[in-house]
Amino acid sequence: MIIEALEAVFFFLTALMIAYLVRHYIFTLTVLRRAKKAKAVNVVSDAKYEPTVSVLIPARDEEKVIGRLLQRMAELTYPQDKLQVIVIDDASSDSTGRIADEHAGKYAFMEVLHRDKEDGGKGKPSAMNAGFKRATGEIVLCFDADYYPQKDIVEKLAKEFADPTVGAVQGRVVVLNEPQNMVTRLVALERIGGYRVDQEARDDLGLIAQFGGTVGGFRRSILESLDGWDESILAEDTDLTYRIYLKGFKVRYVGDAECYEEAVDNWKAYRQQRYRWARGHMQCCFKHSWKVLRSKNLRMKEKIDGLLLLNVYFMPLVVLASFIIGVPLIFFESSKLVGALWFSVPISFYSFVGNFAPFFEVGVGAYLDGRTRTQWLIPLLIFTFFYNIPICAKAFLDLLASKILRRNHSLWVKTSHLGNGNRYMVN
Amino acid sequence: MILNLTLIIIILVGATPTLILILFLPALFELKKPKDAGPRMILNSIPEVKMLAMHVIPIANIEKEQKFDVSLIQTIVKIIEFLPRLEV
Repeated sequence: MIIEALEAVFFFLTALMIAYLVRHYIFTLTVLRRAKKAKAVNVVSDAKYEPTVSVLIPARDEEKVIGRLLQRMAELTYPQDKLQVIVIDDASSDSTGRIADEHAGKYAFMEVLHRDKEDGGKGKPSAMNAGFKRATGEIVLCFDADYYPQKDIVEKLAKEFADPTVGAVQGRVVVLNEPQNMVTRLVALERIGGYRVDQEARDDLGLIAQFGGTVGGFRRSILESLDGWDESILAEDTDLTYRIYLKGFKVRYVGDAECYEEAVDNWKAYRQQRYRWARGHMQCCFKHSWKVLRSKNLRMKEKIDGLLLLNVYFMPLVVLASFIIGVPLIFFESSKLVGALWFSVPISFYSFVGNFAPFFEVGVGAYLDGRTRTQWLIPLLIFTFFYNIPICAKAFLDLLASKILRRNHSLWVKTSHLGNGNRYMVN
Repeated sequence: MILNLTLIIIILVGATPTLILILFLPALFELKKPKDAGPRMILNSIPEVKMLAMHVIPIANIEKEQKFDVSLIQTIVKIIEFLPRLEV
């Protein structure tokens, strides 16, 4: 009886893992096929759509990086009379506010919102909502302080809003400090898989392209109707993605709108960031899963992909559980099907690595980017996967405890940026 | 049975590290002496278009060049016209 129950659980877990594997193989093949087509047909759009744009830059203790971003904002090729840049100095204790004030003094389209320690320091969603109240543009874009975009990124992102069904856009993130150390190199690999393959395929297949919280933005009217950012959710970007889809709009991924980021460069910062993402994603899973299933605005394929995306941070736990349950089943007398399903466990174990972009996605992404040697590091992603198991487990247990005890301890732990990317900047 | 057990132990002790080494050796090489070109260069397509445009001669310059060409030709014609008079 116990064996049969364990077998049933094992079947369920392996079925889940196979579903994710198939999903990612479809993504990879889609992007490869698209890349082939793109070489043959090069579509050039000359339609000009220039709405007014507000750029929100939340910044808390970002003195090492904020200057270069604001300088970049001054170099943007978008008409300055249609541009508003709002820096939200979120109760910084360093000279972030002063640097922002200096730039605002030089450029009329820049302004600074200073938040004191009473109002500020409550996390990014809170800062974004404060900045949004001042925003006047038809489109609201967001950039984190450690980011450094292309000069023409606003044009590239804003033009997508010419389509009235588009509620939000997302550009591509490229790791600037990739050569710094092993952590930044592995994060860069995750980003390549996640953006070059995952996001692009989801956009191409009409599935749930994800707003990543930065290098992207929203149609102002939609953001207003959604009451802005939900301050109780740690993954406010994923939350907004789902709210936009549930409202009947879509998120477009714009792969050629690229922006550098300064990636976390040590394992502690990596852990803190991933914990926040995992817990926030799980919060979204509890909040939106049922709504996604019942939604009339989502097609069947969007519902399936939406549910898989919402549950993605549970996968390290699923793989671990399948291992723990599967090993005893080998030694006990179990059905042949269990033995046959065992092949999927090690594959999945190695597949759900990094930012949950499997190794084959990372390899194909790097190949499509024209990279030659970074693929050699792919086997090392197994370590980030192992690292993600306790991170996701802790996030799940903490979230469960907060649900049971009815205490929401969603403390926003900010990723600190030391400006290590500056040395890789070529101007 | 003992032989089989010895064989299993030899395989585990010998083959596992070899397999791990084969798997991670390229990664260790790349970490030790990186030969990758580094992060992807993000491109600014609009400034590039502007830069390309700078290489195209503006209309005003073309007119100047045309004027220059005409005056030069006129001078040469005048010199040629003057040459027969020198013979006299």
